[in-house]
Amino acid sequence: MKQLKNLKKEYEDIEIPAELDEMVRQSIRTAASTKKKRSFVKRYVLSAAAAAALFVGSINASPALANSLVNIPVLGSIVEVFTVQTLTLDEETYQANLETPAIDGLENEGLQSALNGKYIEENEELFRQFKEDIGDMEEAGSGHLGIDTGYEVKTDTDQLLSIARYEVTTAGSSSADMQYDTIDKQNNILITLPSLFKDDSYIAIINSYIKDEMKRQMARDGNTAYFSTEEEGLEFSSIQADQSFYITADHKLIISFDKYEIAPGYMGVITFEIPSDILSDALVGDAYIR
Amino acid sequence: MFKTEEGGSFVMTKNEKFKRVEQFLIENQNAHYRLAYSYVKNKENALDIVQDSIFKALQSIDRLDEIKYLKTWFYRILVNTSIDFIRKHQRMMVMDDEVLEGHLPQSEDEQADMDLRDAMDALTAHEKSLIILRFFEDLKIDEVAAVLGENVNTVKTKLYRTLKKLRIEIGEGI
Repeated sequence: MKQLKNLKKEYEDIEIPAELDEMVRQSIRTAASTKKKRSFVKRYVLSAAAAAALFVGSINASPALANSLVNIPVLGSIVEVFTVQTLTLDEETYQANLETPAIDGLENEGLQSALNGKYIEENEELFRQFKEDIGDMEEAGSGHLGIDTGYEVKTDTDQLLSIARYEVTTAGSSSADMQYDTIDKQNNILITLPSLFKDDSYIAIINSYIKDEMKRQMARDGNTAYFSTEEEGLEFSSIQADQSFYITADHKLIISFDKYEIAPGYMGVITFEIPSDILSDALVGDAYIR
Repeated sequence: MFKTEEGGSFVMTKNEKFKRVEQFLIENQNAHYRLAYSYVKNKENALDIVQDSIFKALQSIDRLDEIKYLKTWFYRILVNTSIDFIRKHQRMMVMDDEVLEGHLPQSEDEQADMDLRDAMDALTAHEKSLIILRFFEDLKIDEVAAVLGENVNTVKTKLYRTLKKLRIEIGEGI
């Protein structure tokens, strides 16, 4: 028993690093703020999806309306994406750099201004929230906070435009969110994930592919890790019906997950390319994905 | 249900629950760090494990039904995260200098401790969990069982077997 006591003493003598306390507090803050933000982002995604659904619906319902909205829809005109607004803040321990994209040249100006408006509103809201967080943090003492948003054009063909917007928040550790908008330039519609498929069957097809792919990747590379199935309800079980996605120039569907969504932090934002042949039966057609 | 002290079963708002968990994580951070460290034996990885566990816990906080299970619930996340980590990084474990120095015995008495330490290192992660939780973290048998998701009798049997492996004689019961 004495030996066990010695071992216990050794255990108790394990040195506690000075940075532990700060790391714990900031991790809690990050976790709390990503929770808050989630709900905010969801609201926007929802309203954008609702607007898109309404729009797709009315185009389908009335060809005359579709024609009146767009004059010459056949060939995608020159569509540009550029930075319309940059919000920055640079103080000793607080840094923000928010770049807002804007789309120009879409024939459907309603859609274009809805998207552009959403981009500006979102970044302004993030910036306001960030300044509020700084206020909270100052009250509690001091700390480090950072936010970085920007965008990337993933696909730009005659037919499709996919824009990815990223948001990285840093508070001790960092979290990263990705959001995508994919637009059919010729028909001037915003493509949603459910709108690509005949029914809900795509969810199960994609889930089973991703689960197998995770296993394959983990078997191949010991540094690849996803939250494993026996853990506390964090394992991957299903994509959302409106999971983040985009479409590549060669017509492949890419499904995207935010940092921490399905894997430990060091894996970052994760994407899976879904083979088109397993989707073909569920797809409405092969205009976008093939 | 009339229990109200000790975080009994009175209804908490989500916010109160978050606050309690937050307080628990801050107050017990040293114990959490030591637990993680004893699996991976180096500072950076131990810090990573504590951090990942905090994220996992706060993201799945809705699954914590009653606040009185907070400790075993979090220890379970922490132990699983540690074991997961070892499993995935077996090939490349870095040891801190002090651990290496610790391997050079300076007296006979320390030699004996050394042997025990070697025996400890030779245990499986699961056996190590048993010893750490029961004897270093002083959890009760039923708490150890809750953390490891096993029944009390299995835990007892395994603990006896592990102690035997370590050649540790125990006067009183476990």
